[in-house]
Amino acid sequence: MTQPSAQTHQGSAPYEGLRLNGLTKRFGRFTAVDGVDLHIRRGEFLTLLGPSGSGKTTLLMMIAGFQDISAGDIALDGHSITTVPAEKRNFGMVFQGYALFPHMSVRDNIAYPLSVRKRPHAEITARVDEMLELVQLTKFDTRLPGQLSGGQQQRVALARALCFAPPVLLLDEPLGALDKKLRIEVQAQLKAIHQRVGTTFIYVTHDQEEALSMSDRVVIMQNGRIEQLGTPQELYQRPATQFAASFLGKSNFLHCSDGLYALRPEKIDICPATQTAGAPLGPHRTTAVVHSVTYFGSILSYTVALPDGTTLQVDVDAWRGGPTLDRGAQVTLDWPDEAAVKLAPDTP
Amino acid sequence: MQDKQFMRETLIEGAKAYKAGRMQRRTFIALLGMAGFGAATLSPRAADAAADRIVLWNWGGQSEECHGNAIGKPFTAATGIPLAFDTSGPLQGKIKEMVDSGNVTADVCDGDLFDAVALGQTGHLEAIDYDVVDRAKTLPGYALDFGVSVILYGYAFVYDTKAYGDNPPNSWADFFDTAKFPGKRSLYKWANGSLEAALMADGVAKDALYPLDLPRALAKIKSIKDDSIYWGSGSEAHSMVVNGEVSMGMVWQNRGRNIEQDTDGRYKLVMNEALAMPGAYIVPRGNPGGREAVMKFIAAAQSVPAQLELFDCLGMTPSNPEAFAQLPTDGQPYAITSAENINRVAYNDPHWWGNNTDEAVNGFLDAIS
Amino acid sequence: MAHTPAIPLQARNMWRYLPRGGWLLVAPLMVLVLGLFLGPLTNIMVISVTDPKPGLGNYAALFQSDALGGILWTTLRVCVLTTAISVTLGYCIAHAMIHALARERNWMLSLLLVSFWISVLVRTFSWLMLLGRNGLVNNGLEAIGLITQPIEFMRNELGVLIGMVHYMVPYAVLPLLASMQTIDARVLAASRNLGASPAQTFWRVYLPLTRPGLVAAALLVFILSLGFYVTPAILGGGKVLMVAEYISVQILVTLRWGTAAMLAVLMLGGVLGLLFVMSRFMKLSTVFGGTKP
Repeated sequence: MTQPSAQTHQGSAPYEGLRLNGLTKRFGRFTAVDGVDLHIRRGEFLTLLGPSGSGKTTLLMMIAGFQDISAGDIALDGHSITTVPAEKRNFGMVFQGYALFPHMSVRDNIAYPLSVRKRPHAEITARVDEMLELVQLTKFDTRLPGQLSGGQQQRVALARALCFAPPVLLLDEPLGALDKKLRIEVQAQLKAIHQRVGTTFIYVTHDQEEALSMSDRVVIMQNGRIEQLGTPQELYQRPATQFAASFLGKSNFLHCSDGLYALRPEKIDICPATQTAGAPLGPHRTTAVVHSVTYFGSILSYTVALPDGTTLQVDVDAWRGGPTLDRGAQVTLDWPDEAAVKLAPDTP
Repeated sequence: MQDKQFMRETLIEGAKAYKAGRMQRRTFIALLGMAGFGAATLSPRAADAAADRIVLWNWGGQSEECHGNAIGKPFTAATGIPLAFDTSGPLQGKIKEMVDSGNVTADVCDGDLFDAVALGQTGHLEAIDYDVVDRAKTLPGYALDFGVSVILYGYAFVYDTKAYGDNPPNSWADFFDTAKFPGKRSLYKWANGSLEAALMADGVAKDALYPLDLPRALAKIKSIKDDSIYWGSGSEAHSMVVNGEVSMGMVWQNRGRNIEQDTDGRYKLVMNEALAMPGAYIVPRGNPGGREAVMKFIAAAQSVPAQLELFDCLGMTPSNPEAFAQLPTDGQPYAITSAENINRVAYNDPHWWGNNTDEAVNGFLDAIS
Repeated sequence: MAHTPAIPLQARNMWRYLPRGGWLLVAPLMVLVLGLFLGPLTNIMVISVTDPKPGLGNYAALFQSDALGGILWTTLRVCVLTTAISVTLGYCIAHAMIHALARERNWMLSLLLVSFWISVLVRTFSWLMLLGRNGLVNNGLEAIGLITQPIEFMRNELGVLIGMVHYMVPYAVLPLLASMQTIDARVLAASRNLGASPAQTFWRVYLPLTRPGLVAAALLVFILSLGFYVTPAILGGGKVLMVAEYISVQILVTLRWGTAAMLAVLMLGGVLGLLFVMSRFMKLSTVFGGTKP
């Protein structure tokens, strides 16, 4: 299928993965996806993260072939697939709500992509057994989807989408219907499965924790455009825009003479004013008053007010961060230079 | 049952009293209320009929107006009894059901004479009182114990002059000869008329039809089945011809003139070998208006002016011999009993049909379906 | 505080007695309906074994008379064909409606419902005017020289089928529409995404998911078709004799009430038997719009 020699000749990597060039989708006068350029590497776990209406699901549906493309191009391994219909793209997909076939058993659901391809019976059985094992549902193979829990259904959907070894697996908020505890469990399972099968995963979510914990790279989307692209660490440590900084984690924003800076709450040191009395004031050292305290178990979150009236969030490790400061306490704040990240202005 | 009958009679008496002004409206309604659910099946019409009114059960259409003028007016003038109508069609099964249920709401039915034979035998009819009704004012053999023929209608056929103009068909033999006269045919669906026509076509003399040779008749019917369609009502027969669905169509003779007019003369009626059917007045047993009044009504229907007016209004032919000579000249070609037709038509035997309808109809339905 | 336990006890008592009280409230209506319904029904069953003489003679006639067999066969054939064609057409229409825009769908639904108001007689005669020997279609085809002899659309079994299908299609559409509306579009998208062609998606996913609607539509159309009288009588030209018309003739003309009652009982038994067989294969509650299993 791939043509390594030709690609090498062009100077590309041995395999390309999925390339989106100026991908655009308009609904009447509304532009849902606005000229997205993106290269998804083969085998990576890429997350499209954004609030609802940011265009992430539309983008995914365009990749899947369910949504027509207004402009631009999609190429897989150097070949345009823009005009290839959904059923011929061979992309697996896990739908929101799973979209299992309610009239088929778990086994038949998983076997479906192989049986529509008219694969030999023995091959189907073997492959489905393998997938059942992968998602740990071997005992449930004769059940109907309606007889399974949400988490089990989610795994059936995953097994079904992976059964035919697609080069790309698209996941549309696959954990949205699960409760929080189960979600964290399934996140780990998903990540493990990704590592085992090595398929490219394109994952759509609006949940920043999901994005951070599972992804190789994350695309933050806003208004149909890519706001920032990078590894979770890059995005968290060096947000490019105010939107990226606020959407991914919590952030304080400091207006300085040379622009806007993002300052993560946990990067600020805080101590009672009494302990630092008499010490010289550093470049960032400032006094403040505790406005409110919120206890989150692992962290204590303070809202403090600076003398000029601006408020900052300060997070402290609840276990190691010393005694809890009371509301109204005088405190001293400080942070290293590299903790504050200069932001580019937001895209309009 | 006894109680219900008692309530019914009480009500009828009440209705009479109310009508005669001897009872207050309120009292009558209270009586109705007392009778309650059990008497609810007794319709106001029953009470009205009891209150000196004759209900004629006929087939609707123009017949309401025609019977009203021809018979109702002179009858009411002579007796003071008004005439009312139930136009739902007195099929044998309905008369039987009405009498069996003990809820008789009609006094006289515009039926067939063979109904009189069939239902008379099973005790569903009042006998005709020939002290009031005149045996001589109908054709011989058509004044029976439980019914008397007051008009005649018939099964004749019309043909397409455009298809057969030069050598027109003139007999049932021609009608059944689809080789000589190619084209579609229409016949009556419920057997009578159709069977007789088939036998005449097959060579049976018109006065030797009865008892009908059913297998022979049905074989003849089947011989043109592929070219035949069958009608169940007069209007359907009419529309089959007028819409050009058939080249020759059996019709009720009294519709012949209308068809000729509606097709601007393209279709023409053939009265030769038409089958005369005795239309009869029969009285359901226990009729609400009483036997005396209804016999007077039947007698009124026998009068020459009434018969002539019915012919004029509905095309039904008089059965009273006194009226034959007085038929209007322009109507004579369409009348069964006119001088030109009376001897070339065949006559239905109500006794055979009264005893064999079920076999004839079911055999016929089986043959055509 | 001592009274506190008494409250749930009272509530429990209320729950125990409420259903019985509820039944009492509807009891008069139940008795009336059952009386008015079962009374005549029993009467018909009694007539079928007593008229003209006591015994099972009317039922024996079923096996002795070719005529009765022929009528039942015609009825069955016409009803099965009507059902098959109506449900197929209804399926296409319902499918088109589901995929139309909301405004168009409302229009289509209105047109469909309007057809319920047109009397069967008017429809029947309209078909004669349209497809009869000298109808619009035949005259038109003759005028443009496509045919020399009129096509026999009417006054035969084809005519009966056309008339009956026309009457029945809306009855087929409604249950199908209801069943198609419950299908999750994502399930169909999933099928495509997994590599199924449109045909495979239809046969393996869409059709099975609309099966309850199909069964409901087929049952409804078939059972209603069994009772058809006017359409076969007129459009069949007298040659397509179905059981409803035959029953009517036996009651009104030939006075063979026993035969008529026997056929009526047979029809009723047939329909109940059909429902019973269907219930063995699927939950009828899903067919008639009940909750899903």
